[in-house]
Amino acid sequence: MADRIIFVCMLILAGVYFWATSQIPSLELGDPLGPKAFPQLLGIGLLVAAGMLLMEIIKKPKAKPAVPTAETDPAKRPHHGVVAAVAGWTAFYVLIFEPLGYVIASSIYLLALTAYFNRGRWVTNVLTSVLFSAGSYFAFTHLLGVSLARGILPF
Amino acid sequence: METLTHILNGFAVCLQPINLWYTFLGVLMGTVIGVLPGIGPSAGIALLIPITYGMDPTSALIMLAGIYYGAKYGGSTTAILIRTPGEAASVMTSIDGYEMARKGRAGAALAVSAIGSFIAGTIGVVGLTLFALPLTSMALKFGPAEYFTLMLFAMTAVSTLTGNSPAKGVFATILGLMIATIGIDLQSGQARFTMDIPEFQDGVGFVVVVVGLFAMAEVFRGLEDLYRGTAPKAMKITGKLWLTREEWQRSVGPIWRGGIIGFVIGVLPGAGGTIASIMSYTTERRISKHPEEFGKGAIEGVAGPESANNSDTAGALVPLLTLGVPGGGATAVMLGAFIMYGVQPGPLLFQNRPDLVWGLIDSMYVGNVMLLILNLPLVGLFVRLLYIPSGILYPLIVTISAIGAYAINGSTVDLWLILFFGVVGYVFDKIDIPVAPLVLALVLGGIMEQSFRQAMTISGGDIKVFYGSVITVTLLIMSAISVAMPFILPRLKAMRDKGDGN
Repeated sequence: MADRIIFVCMLILAGVYFWATSQIPSLELGDPLGPKAFPQLLGIGLLVAAGMLLMEIIKKPKAKPAVPTAETDPAKRPHHGVVAAVAGWTAFYVLIFEPLGYVIASSIYLLALTAYFNRGRWVTNVLTSVLFSAGSYFAFTHLLGVSLARGILPF
Repeated sequence: METLTHILNGFAVCLQPINLWYTFLGVLMGTVIGVLPGIGPSAGIALLIPITYGMDPTSALIMLAGIYYGAKYGGSTTAILIRTPGEAASVMTSIDGYEMARKGRAGAALAVSAIGSFIAGTIGVVGLTLFALPLTSMALKFGPAEYFTLMLFAMTAVSTLTGNSPAKGVFATILGLMIATIGIDLQSGQARFTMDIPEFQDGVGFVVVVVGLFAMAEVFRGLEDLYRGTAPKAMKITGKLWLTREEWQRSVGPIWRGGIIGFVIGVLPGAGGTIASIMSYTTERRISKHPEEFGKGAIEGVAGPESANNSDTAGALVPLLTLGVPGGGATAVMLGAFIMYGVQPGPLLFQNRPDLVWGLIDSMYVGNVMLLILNLPLVGLFVRLLYIPSGILYPLIVTISAIGAYAINGSTVDLWLILFFGVVGYVFDKIDIPVAPLVLALVLGGIMEQSFRQAMTISGGDIKVFYGSVITVTLLIMSAISVAMPFILPRLKAMRDKGDGN
């Protein structure tokens, strides 16, 4: 089933990519190919890959018993909710990264994640979150000369 | 004679105190990265590139290479003690290594992997030293058409040999090439596929893609495991960190064979450390007098694969250094690093910067000695890393990734990109699309298009240029074979099985 969805996605992507390629204005000066030729080749390549996948879908034997899959094996069952929540929380981290600055944003981000995934060990979690954020900020900005978002803190 | 001078001068470079220090830092970080699940060598190298930006290229590359081969040493520790490879190529080590640990021979398993890694790693560097120059003299004859077909071969080999489905491998390669076309076209000055985002004019950096696909995706997977309660627990080290005479006698052969298998596989594009270690494991089981012990704690099953996956790294550096074309994901990231320091690997580098190339190669002899010390007497220190709760470790990896990504341009666009590619990497893992071909294609994409267009310009738009020389034809045939292999091999096997039945 997943393979069929990938197949459809490949076709859609190829369509979008061909359309986007046609939107590139071309001025062919001394370059017999111009900026469009290579992308067009890639679009064709994607269609070839889709064709290969279609062959694999047709050939694949339907039933494969004895091998535990994501549906039957509880150790492999996905928990998309957790992943979505972590991704969402990371998006929030990116949003506050510049306005609040690296140290505060990272402390907040780490505190919430460790509070959930390393439950009950408050002292460790708070210390790690705050000390790591502050420590890495000073190490990178002062020792390695890498600039990180300062945000609302004065240093 | 001149070569010998260059090799000796390389030692003069890599034995400078500053470069010894960076070799040490590199192999130390490599060991840590190898031990820790979450950040692999690819993401580790990618994260360090922006931070080491102002450094001397020789020192920086010596350090990044140290991470690359050092991670293989560390990966075996995790494989033996928690049965989860800390690094993909250690997967075979985890079978018999973990069984040895369960039987109280963890110390012997760790010792044989460190010693095997050292011997095989050194075999690999000797091979690299010997084979580098003959290959560069061949590569000097390469024009744009030859380079294009060589990259085509590297990509087809990687896309059909990694993962279970050649179609998905090709899909990943094309996706990588497509991402590489984003940005201003260098030849015409036209902006392509930038979606009106100004930051995309310079293209999508490979650092953010690698960090997203490898580090962020691993964080999502790791936290999912933790939520599910299937996160593995670490075993204690039991038994002396040394081998009995009998164990040593059983390991010598596998170490040598593994070292040679690993180097040869490493030179070839596509296969990589995982396949090298699988080949070594099956070889040892086939020639063993007691094959029934494999899977139940046979020391040969640790010694062979662990050696193979270490000499593989030196082998993989051969095409990268001599031709400038990597054959896999991690060496692609190394190429990206070279380019960011303004160093173009390839035959000309051996002529123009022998100090850099040989300094780098010779530093690997030194690095392997350091790794032996770090991973044998000091392995207990690194094992402590395994006791860091995953609930703390994974969130920290996100923050470290954010530092690395933000350091490139000081822009949150790069942070959004690592999040995006993290989700992509997580989804791709679930639906079985390999990401190594994508990374290779992304790094090579720009150079590949340039050489394609240069070749066409030279020939005045005549496609014949791609099948006009012996080298291009050979490479095209090899590409075709690597595409056809996954389809032909099962049939050949079926035919042979039939023949056996009669």
